[in-house]
Amino acid sequence: MKTEIKGGRAFSYLDVELSPGERITAESDAMATMSADLDLNSRFNGGFFPALARHFLGGETLFINEFANNTKSTRQITLAQPTPGEIKAIELKGQTLYLQPGAFLACTEGIKVGVKWAGFVSWLAKEGLFKIVVKGNGTVWYGAFGALLEKQIDGEYIVDTSHLVAYEPTIKLKLQLAGGIFSSLFSGEGLVTRVVGKGKITIQTRSLSGLAGWINPKLP
Amino acid sequence: MQDNQYHVTLTGKIADATNIEHASAQFARLFKTTPEVAMQTLQKGPVTIKRNVDQATAIKIRNVLDKLGIGCRILTADEADAEARAATQNLSVNNNTSVKKDSSSPISDTFESPTDHPGLQFKIEGKPDYSFVTVQLPANQTLKVEASAMATMDTHIEMKTKLKGGLGRFVTGESIFINEFTAAHGPGEIGIAPGAPGDMMHVYLNDEVLYLQNSAFVASAMSVNIETKWQGFTKGFFSGENLFLIRASGKGDLWFNSYGAIIEIDVQDNYVVDTGNIVAFTEHLDYKISKVGGYKSLFFSGEGFVCRFSGKGKVWIQTRGVDAFAWWAHAYRPARSSG
Repeated sequence: MKTEIKGGRAFSYLDVELSPGERITAESDAMATMSADLDLNSRFNGGFFPALARHFLGGETLFINEFANNTKSTRQITLAQPTPGEIKAIELKGQTLYLQPGAFLACTEGIKVGVKWAGFVSWLAKEGLFKIVVKGNGTVWYGAFGALLEKQIDGEYIVDTSHLVAYEPTIKLKLQLAGGIFSSLFSGEGLVTRVVGKGKITIQTRSLSGLAGWINPKLP
Repeated sequence: MQDNQYHVTLTGKIADATNIEHASAQFARLFKTTPEVAMQTLQKGPVTIKRNVDQATAIKIRNVLDKLGIGCRILTADEADAEARAATQNLSVNNNTSVKKDSSSPISDTFESPTDHPGLQFKIEGKPDYSFVTVQLPANQTLKVEASAMATMDTHIEMKTKLKGGLGRFVTGESIFINEFTAAHGPGEIGIAPGAPGDMMHVYLNDEVLYLQNSAFVASAMSVNIETKWQGFTKGFFSGENLFLIRASGKGDLWFNSYGAIIEIDVQDNYVVDTGNIVAFTEHLDYKISKVGGYKSLFFSGEGFVCRFSGKGKVWIQTRGVDAFAWWAHAYRPARSSG
């Protein structure tokens, strides 16, 4: 499988070349273009009941799609994410990564995509009730709004709610006020997430709430 | 390892007590060149001055340079190669090429503040589409940040909210609060993400004044004075959201952002900018709002009002207009009856 992330970081998309017999799993609606003779197989996102729970409680899509190349030569598929922003790839060799809802784009065979109860803290932090768990051996593509920055955490660090995209299982999330009561009410920061532990986190350099705060006063 | 595989590299740093003229004169004499060339070489940063010498010679050269107060390092050929490769790699990544080849390599369009920069150390990442600035705050220093723009920070940084935005920002829907972040118990860092998709600029104000469009403020040092200015009806009324401007004055760092990319323009005598595309301009420029053509073109050309700058100074413009975006997006928003 040959893959390439194109389109810069503003409007990244993923170009995939599938060799005969290869398959790739992608988020529902991620396919932008593909060779006509690729086989598409939709399945519930992690089983019937988990998919339902995730769809209605976690705001995830009900289905994920598997594209298989059952022809005798290489075929092409292009995957895109809904948000304007960067796509990143991560190679997993048995380890686990947590993704925020909506961040998952695609993965190779050998990767298991599941969901995990993220807790009310995560929900209050507007990060969703569930987090996506990817693990196994293979490549995962994920993306978000804005550019993606990786940061190595050792100890504690504060991330504004809705800027966190991915984190390793060694990282724990705690919620706290950004400042005192007055500050938290009027600063526009409100609640922030305190990430604790040792591991890598990925943040997005824009947030939907930031975009809304910028454009709402200007809308006609 | 063969013996003559050592490089001597200047670090580009001069000891504090060293007189640069003196050092370059001595350096010129040693390496048989002119003092002018020597001075340039000394100030240029990392540069290899001797290649493939044996260890004894390399150490001898270092000792001489040490006495002159000129910083240098001895590298083996392998180390030097590795560093050169790293340097060219950095260069090629920073080159802002549009197509990234390797899917796993980080895309880093990063601007880092030079080390001799008089203000705070900072790094702007994600340029130009989604610029994000990380500022290193020394202990007990404070940074003013636009409300709700903080994205990441160290846990010991304390936030205070000040009602400083001014009436102008209240009228135009911006937050009237500005947050102050202080590195309370030691140095720390803070990452700031503006709301609008676009670029960010850094300016070091040296007792200068800069006018910013109302939503362009990102952050500034405490020593920079941020106030809103009513532009008056003749200058402001027709420019929509720019009815108020932010006046930044004093000495220190200032960061501002745009919607779209930022273009810096040196105005010599006259320059016309659409009112929606102005991000910032320097104080000594005079400007007036006018229409492009006659009244017919005012209503039908789609250009409306423009800002005519005159004088000598700098204007920063953004490559997209917010109003244009708002109207474009508005057409697709679900209708909702008000009240």
